[in-house]
Amino acid sequence: MSDHVSPVSLYITIFASLMVLTAVTVGAAFVDLGQFNFLVAMLVAGFKASLVVWYFMHMKYQSHLTKLALAVGLFFLVILLGETMIDYSSKDFTPMPPKIDAESVINKP
Amino acid sequence: MSSTVARADQHAHAHHPALQHHFDTMPQQKEAAVIGMWVFLLTEILFFGGLFLVYMVYRIWYFDAFAEASRSLSLFWGGLNTAVLIGSSLTMAMAVRGAQTNKRQATVNWLILTMILGTVFLGVKVIEYSDKFEHHHVPGPNFVWASEHAAPAAEGAEHAPAPEAAAGHRQLRLTPDQLQRTTQIYFSLYFTMTGLHALHMIIGLGLMSVITWMAWKGRFDEEYYTPVEMSGLYWHFVDIVWIFLFPLLYLVERHT
Repeated sequence: MSDHVSPVSLYITIFASLMVLTAVTVGAAFVDLGQFNFLVAMLVAGFKASLVVWYFMHMKYQSHLTKLALAVGLFFLVILLGETMIDYSSKDFTPMPPKIDAESVINKP
Repeated sequence: MSSTVARADQHAHAHHPALQHHFDTMPQQKEAAVIGMWVFLLTEILFFGGLFLVYMVYRIWYFDAFAEASRSLSLFWGGLNTAVLIGSSLTMAMAVRGAQTNKRQATVNWLILTMILGTVFLGVKVIEYSDKFEHHHVPGPNFVWASEHAAPAAEGAEHAPAPEAAAGHRQLRLTPDQLQRTTQIYFSLYFTMTGLHALHMIIGLGLMSVITWMAWKGRFDEEYYTPVEMSGLYWHFVDIVWIFLFPLLYLVERHT
């Protein structure tokens, strides 16, 4: 049950970890990793979110039913993002605005 | 039936005043609330998930525009707000802990501190938004994107060498006109996503005002503090949304 009372030291540790990971994700953005920049940013954000869910939101102490409910929700999120991304990243289809004279657009009165 | 007798016998004993009649025990009532709140949060995850999906499609299509536009955001204000929101998650967790351990004053204090941090976040957001208005970065008829790194607008210019690719910036494949249009998509998403996030924070502040008042009135004890914990779950969820929004909006491409 969620009646488990976490020690203050645990909350401080999680808070410190989240702050360090924020610094990590900012630092990683300034290093050229090519395609992996996005992957690193999302992995760090996913890990931070997991820490919040597991300790701050007490998911660690919830019943299996509650954990299953979360897992099912995330499963549908993966379907939503994953399958659409497979579609878009595998097709050479990028609608581009026409290349017209830019000066008339930007330097309008 | 025998169960009726057992039920009547149970009611003869004193039970917690917060226990609703359709629940047998406090833990059962608590679990029903927790799973109900999580189901609500899952609908919220999929709600924001739709926005993340739109963001991903446009980011793949117009990556250069997203990288350019993202660099115009202030990393200082974004980073500060991330720290403030993570801090408010800590104070919220402490408020729930105060309720769990039946410390009324501590619960009220931590809730007020959480509300202060939430207000600081919204204040920084106001500074950032007004900055967008000043620089004409709000999508619409007055949107202006003045890029210094766009490809020349002339015909067949995409094959030309890049003489002005100075200052360490790589040459973009988009012309100024294309950037003018595609960066607007980035800022539309920026205002939609951060605006909806801010709306959730305002709702959270409203929730917490009520909870703080209830805590002050002594409505909670170590057996019944469900409203405090449910507001906490909501607040932490809003924090998680920002944990993803921060790298997606502020850190698209900072290394060039």
